[in-house]
Amino acid sequence: MLEIHDLTKRYGDVVALDGTTFSAAPGRIVGFLGPNGAGKTTTMRAIFGLMRPDRGKILWRGKPVGLPERGRFGYMPEERGLYPKMRIGEELIYFAELSGMSRTAAKEAADGWLGRLGLADRAGARLEELSHGNQQRVQLAAALVHDPELAVLDEPFSGLDPLGVASLGEMLLQTAATGVAVVFSSHQLDLVEDVCQDVVIIHHGRVVLAGVVEELKASSPHRSLEIAVDGNPWVPVLPSSTVTSKRDGRLRVLVDASVDVADVLASASRVGEVTMFSFEPPSLTDLFLAAVSEGGRS
Amino acid sequence: MNGSARRQWLVARREWNQRLRTLAFRISTVISVVIVVALILVPDVYGEGANERTVGVVGESSRELPQLVRASGDQLDLSVETRAFADEPAGRAALRSGDVAVLLVDQQRLVWKAEPEEQLQVAVTSAVQVLQRREAIAELDLTPQEAQRLLGAPDLSSASLGSIAQQRSEREELAWIGLLVLFTAIAFYGGFLLVGVVEEKSSRVVEVLLSRLRPSELLAGKILGIGLVGLAQLALVAGSALIALRFSENPTATTTPSTIGWIVIWFILGYGFYSVLYATAGSLVSRQEEAQSIQFPISAILIVAYLLSMQATQSPDGTAALVGSLLPPTAPMVMIVRIAHGSVPLWEIVLSIALITATIYGMIRLAGRIYAGAVLRIGPRLRLREAWRRAEA
Repeated sequence: MLEIHDLTKRYGDVVALDGTTFSAAPGRIVGFLGPNGAGKTTTMRAIFGLMRPDRGKILWRGKPVGLPERGRFGYMPEERGLYPKMRIGEELIYFAELSGMSRTAAKEAADGWLGRLGLADRAGARLEELSHGNQQRVQLAAALVHDPELAVLDEPFSGLDPLGVASLGEMLLQTAATGVAVVFSSHQLDLVEDVCQDVVIIHHGRVVLAGVVEELKASSPHRSLEIAVDGNPWVPVLPSSTVTSKRDGRLRVLVDASVDVADVLASASRVGEVTMFSFEPPSLTDLFLAAVSEGGRS
Repeated sequence: MNGSARRQWLVARREWNQRLRTLAFRISTVISVVIVVALILVPDVYGEGANERTVGVVGESSRELPQLVRASGDQLDLSVETRAFADEPAGRAALRSGDVAVLLVDQQRLVWKAEPEEQLQVAVTSAVQVLQRREAIAELDLTPQEAQRLLGAPDLSSASLGSIAQQRSEREELAWIGLLVLFTAIAFYGGFLLVGVVEEKSSRVVEVLLSRLRPSELLAGKILGIGLVGLAQLALVAGSALIALRFSENPTATTTPSTIGWIVIWFILGYGFYSVLYATAGSLVSRQEEAQSIQFPISAILIVAYLLSMQATQSPDGTAALVGSLLPPTAPMVMIVRIAHGSVPLWEIVLSIALITATIYGMIRLAGRIYAGAVLRIGPRLRLREAWRRAEA
């Protein structure tokens, strides 16, 4: 279990982290989400000792994190970072050995990862000779090659096409299934909704929402209502509704969970033919926006 | 091996494996070996070319002159022939075209193309001297024994004078080669290290590395790894030089083998000193383009050391050479020059090594902290003081 407690960091007048607190459990994927500049990267760098917080604690299995603990962590930084001119097989072996694996075990692990990534025949290729997507995969492999107990991935999905997002998501699920605690960050909340089981949403260095994704959605006092009525831009007159998007005659509003769905559908049908209607728990973006506006009020 | 030592060793091994494979390393190794072996062996191939001289003779001259010049040349390891010319203009033309090295006019004057050649001048002068004495002896009407006693002396003194001069010029040459090898190796591998540090920063691989090891471990491993590559190359070149020496019949300074050994030792010390400077400089910048300007102050120190050493080849026992051979930044190069000349008391070498070793130790401690403070910082060039403070925070 990774516990981050009351992490605080200032750069001059800028508050980067303001009491950030959350935890990550083995076998689960935590989506560490928030807009750009929220403090995600700063928190992750703190876990690896690349940034020293002004205050706060980082614990792994109840003990403060030091170099021996970090040897059991895997890190994929936002800016990536591998030797561009090194052969990828050697590169993976090198990082595995640096994390404390024996040479034999490191070779085995590197071969295993290259096979899993479909790059077994390219072990002798230099990193810079690979496509962008493959470079990203090697980078992920470098973070996971030593079988870490905790994987911390900073924006692993950025720059990937939908297929890439899906296959990386699948890989993270497999990794977590082996008992690894996975924490990944993203500023694109909706893109990764399906990947994470737990979510920690951070804003201005403070955690504004944390918990199991499904539970958060279910317990939300809001629902997302989406409706399209043929030819008619139609606005339902409902108590406490907020329009979240209006496009192509399709309307999306955040409504109270207690709204009578049948009533809304019936009144819509009286205006014209309803071509699309959905009533769902809110998206992560909805939850985030709600949390931020509540935070603003308090 | 404990964790820290193993990590440093892994970093060093990576540097070794990667650098050994580079084209720059292979080409520079081949070129160095070829140049050094050629310097030792090529005079053999061209026979006595380097020691052959022809003296042009014009006007009044004794029939015995050619034989006397040859004899005094032999004493100086020079093979000197004479060639007579009808008049001075013809002799001067031959001098200009390089057919003769010097022109002797009327056994009175020596005409040179440019700078007088010390050795040749001694050879011709002593031959003429012998001739003049013979004439004087003939006029004095002495017995052959008395004449022999008068004539024997100049030959003897001329021989011993010449042999010292010969050794001196060979030692100077050796000092010059040793200096060049050392300067090149330190600048080359120091530059290698700097580029390597900047490469890790600019490719951000340093973040992944430092999540697994301490900055000081990374720094030490890199310095060690690249240093070993340099040492291996130097050992290869030094080994080829020693082998070439065994096959060479050229006269070489008696200090040559020990100087070659000392070059290897002073490379270790010189690289130790300068590598720390280069690595620290590298940690202050984020892009390869900035690497050039950041290494300028270090290159300036190296060049000052080089110039001081050049001066020391002329007066290896002067005060400047003595001080230069003790100060850590200049010691490696100035000391190698003095060692080549064979005139350094052992205690001075020991003191110099002690001073530079202590300095390197202190610098590693300072540099380790600056490196740790600077190496993770991406962006504009850092000031030293800023890096120092960041490490503390």
